[in-house]
Amino acid sequence: MGETAQLNHTEKKAFLVNSSSLKDVRIFCRDVFEKLHIEQDLKDELVLAIAEAAQNIVKHAFKNNANANELMVVQISCENKKLEIAFYDRGTPVDPKKVKHREIDNVKPGGLGTFFIQEIMDAVEFRDGNKPWINHLVLTKQL
Amino acid sequence: MSYKVTEEGNIATIHLDGEIDMDVVEKAKEVIFPHVDAGKEVHLNLSQVQYMDSSGISVLIESHQKALEKNTKVIIKDVSKSVLKVIMMAKLEQILNLE
Repeated sequence: MGETAQLNHTEKKAFLVNSSSLKDVRIFCRDVFEKLHIEQDLKDELVLAIAEAAQNIVKHAFKNNANANELMVVQISCENKKLEIAFYDRGTPVDPKKVKHREIDNVKPGGLGTFFIQEIMDAVEFRDGNKPWINHLVLTKQL
Repeated sequence: MSYKVTEEGNIATIHLDGEIDMDVVEKAKEVIFPHVDAGKEVHLNLSQVQYMDSSGISVLIESHQKALEKNTKVIIKDVSKSVLKVIMMAKLEQILNLE
């Protein structure tokens, strides 16, 4: 982590809710983390966690069937070396109790995205989504 | 994602290039699975893949499991450091055939 990761900085961007937006989400994150001078290995991990969370919105909150103009918002904030990444969407309300990854030793396709997010981030929290949003996911990590 | 396939005898060598995510995962399956289903030994070269998410990892797992059913194998070659980290995070380095 470089010195400027101590800077306070916030950026947010809206993306269409579809799988082809995931690349744009990654580009946005890499750009912000570049400004924060976060070192490459950590940057790769954070980008993966964010992309997995965005993928969950496309795949689960909207079940791959979002309205063509539906948006999700990703906001990255860094304050006092604490990184907070917020996601807002208007998909099916998420029941946090049902958000589980598969048993990691039970090797089979699927169920790894949430595991990756939990491995990489310090905390994963669903907060009340203020209108017009329904879901508000917040990932945090101390830098 | 782009790809190149060369076949020699019973070995199909597949070079993937780009970022493997949910958006291209069906394309990756279309490239890999027919060779596995045909009972070929698949050499999957990932040297030019710099990013892979859980969807891509699922394709590696499914390819590996299909190969076992067909009594053949998928060998993952020249995996980039960034993708290896994801494979290791999923605790698959001892499950998948990595070279």
